Amino acid sequence: MSLCINRLTEERKQWRRDHPFGFYAKPHRTPQGVLDLKRWECGVPGKAQTLWDGGLFKLDVTFPDEYPTKPPKCKFVPPLFHPNVYPSGTVCLSILNEEEAWKPAITIKQILLGIQDLLDDPNPESPAQAEAYNLFKKDRPAYEKRVRQVVKENPTL
Amino acid sequence: MESDDDFMSVASSADDFLDTQASDDESLGEDFGDDFDGGFSKDKDIVATSRRPYEVEFKVLSPDDIDRDQNQQINEVSSILSLPPESSAILLRYGRWNREKLIEGYMDHPEETLEEAGLGTNFEGTPKTEIVPGFVCEICCEDGDNLETYAMRCGHRFCVECYRHYLAQKIRGEGEAARIECPGDGCNMIVDSKSLSLLVKPDLKDRYYTLLQRTYVDDKENLKWCPAPNCEYAVDCPVKQRDLRRIVPTVQCNCKHHFCFGCTLNDHQPAPCQLVKMWLKKCEDDSETANWISANTKECPKCHSTIEKNGGCNHMTCRKCKHEFCWMCMGLWSEHGTSWYNCNRYEEKSGSEARTAQAKSRASLERYLHYYNRYANHEQSAKLDKDLYLKTEKKMTSLQSQSGLSWIEVQFLDTASQALQQCRQTLKWTYAFAYYLARNNLTEIFEDNQKDLELAVENLSEMFEKPVPELANLKVDILDKTAYCNKRRVILLSDTAENLKNGEWSFNVDW
Repeated sequence: MSLCINRLTEERKQWRRDHPFGFYAKPHRTPQGVLDLKRWECGVPGKAQTLWDGGLFKLDVTFPDEYPTKPPKCKFVPPLFHPNVYPSGTVCLSILNEEEAWKPAITIKQILLGIQDLLDDPNPESPAQAEAYNLFKKDRPAYEKRVRQVVKENPTL
Repeated sequence: MESDDDFMSVASSADDFLDTQASDDESLGEDFGDDFDGGFSKDKDIVATSRRPYEVEFKVLSPDDIDRDQNQQINEVSSILSLPPESSAILLRYGRWNREKLIEGYMDHPEETLEEAGLGTNFEGTPKTEIVPGFVCEICCEDGDNLETYAMRCGHRFCVECYRHYLAQKIRGEGEAARIECPGDGCNMIVDSKSLSLLVKPDLKDRYYTLLQRTYVDDKENLKWCPAPNCEYAVDCPVKQRDLRRIVPTVQCNCKHHFCFGCTLNDHQPAPCQLVKMWLKKCEDDSETANWISANTKECPKCHSTIEKNGGCNHMTCRKCKHEFCWMCMGLWSEHGTSWYNCNRYEEKSGSEARTAQAKSRASLERYLHYYNRYANHEQSAKLDKDLYLKTEKKMTSLQSQSGLSWIEVQFLDTASQALQQCRQTLKWTYAFAYYLARNNLTEIFEDNQKDLELAVENLSEMFEKPVPELANLKVDILDKTAYCNKRRVILLSDTAENLKNGEWSFNVDW
């Protein structure tokens, strides 16, 4: 438990010192004004010169008590139209799965950059929602049109 | 070369096996003989006693035997490839203990093999913890001048505390041992036993070695754990999965438990594993649990672990054997097209299969009940006989005092009771077996044998229930009947096993 809090405190320090352009990540503040280090609100921008350029997508990142032994859960709010995002908004990504590529040394920065990469480079081997996956596989123009729509609905601040 | 010698011994042991099988079926013997590996062929202490057609060759291994076999193979590979033993162990686990294939692969592409196994190619230096000035641990973000740190040969350095925590989570939390990777992002270097010993406390180390032993037995096709509660023995038997159509390999552990090596269920001779499985599933059909299992789970097509899908895509990777398959059609993932959401291979087949299966089950319900009632009756009687068995001891004591017989003279009751148990077990499964048999001459003979055994068993069972004072007078009779029961059982099992081996039976189902 203390390992979890120590690490998150340090992650927050490092993030404030330096973080990639266009991203944000901050611990959630409860209505009473108390900082909850185990729940972060994050934003991932679409990469420049991709379909997703110009969009900023909000994520809830929840850290378990066993963090960093176990990975955090990353959830788009609202759920995102993307082949590897479950209808609940949860991201399906190998580095976020403790049985796959999660390692305790992976930082929040790496996670968010990984999610940014995933936006324009979906993994068709792990579909998580039917809608985006089917369009992506069968009707690329319609898929791209939907993505542009999603970007418009979530503009960069 | 050492591996040549091994090939020789493999060949000779295959011959031994053929001889002792006294089988006129060449192909079955070959099935057993080919690619059976070091573990068995070296055990010359398995004496070629004459076996009945339904008996198989096997050997019981204690945890120490398993350790010894494991270490022996590790040391052999270690000396052949001149790698440190802990690295050879990782290599062997990566190659699922298939030594010949592993050595061949290593000789052809040493660096790729090492890389894929998670070893790296650098074997310099001995593992030790270090204090590195100015070091900050990437996991806990601690610095401090006296921070003990550790890195494997991959160079990813973390503080000892975090390393230990990570290993504890893997070993205790996830039950992983054979393939624990370096905690560094993207690094697939496997934590070796030397590094592990350096880092963790003795209790965790014990758990680690237990888990390793478990994967060793799980990985090897010729080894199985005895399924009896708290039994720590494993059984070594050369019968392969593909042989199970033609043989029912019942083995007996040192703990006295009789079980089938093929499916690890209790002894179910004469019925083959696949039929037993079908039968049991059928018998449980009305239970809610069985319904739920069939509705919500499937079996891994390779290792038959039951799997519940709790979300995600159709690309399944079995947690136990790492087999990759499609949830919809259960086919190999690698051979699968790109139609993950509508696996059309599944649709049409499943539809028609489900319909015919339903029609069949209704039509055969009556027939099924005939066999089921008899099956269940023997199961029930066996339970009652078992209660009787518990009373046997009391009976024997009272018999000793009432009739003046000595302890050794009343042992016949114990023998009779055991024979009764064993014969009921066999009879029970003859009904499951018969349910799946198509009618022909062989089936007639089988049913005659079944009837003879059943009659003998019921006679003995009846005598067994007689009041204590009469038992002493019945001794000779009971002994006779016991011997007769055993003989009928041997005849029935031998006949069934012979026909099974020669593929003579015809069944009314595909299996």
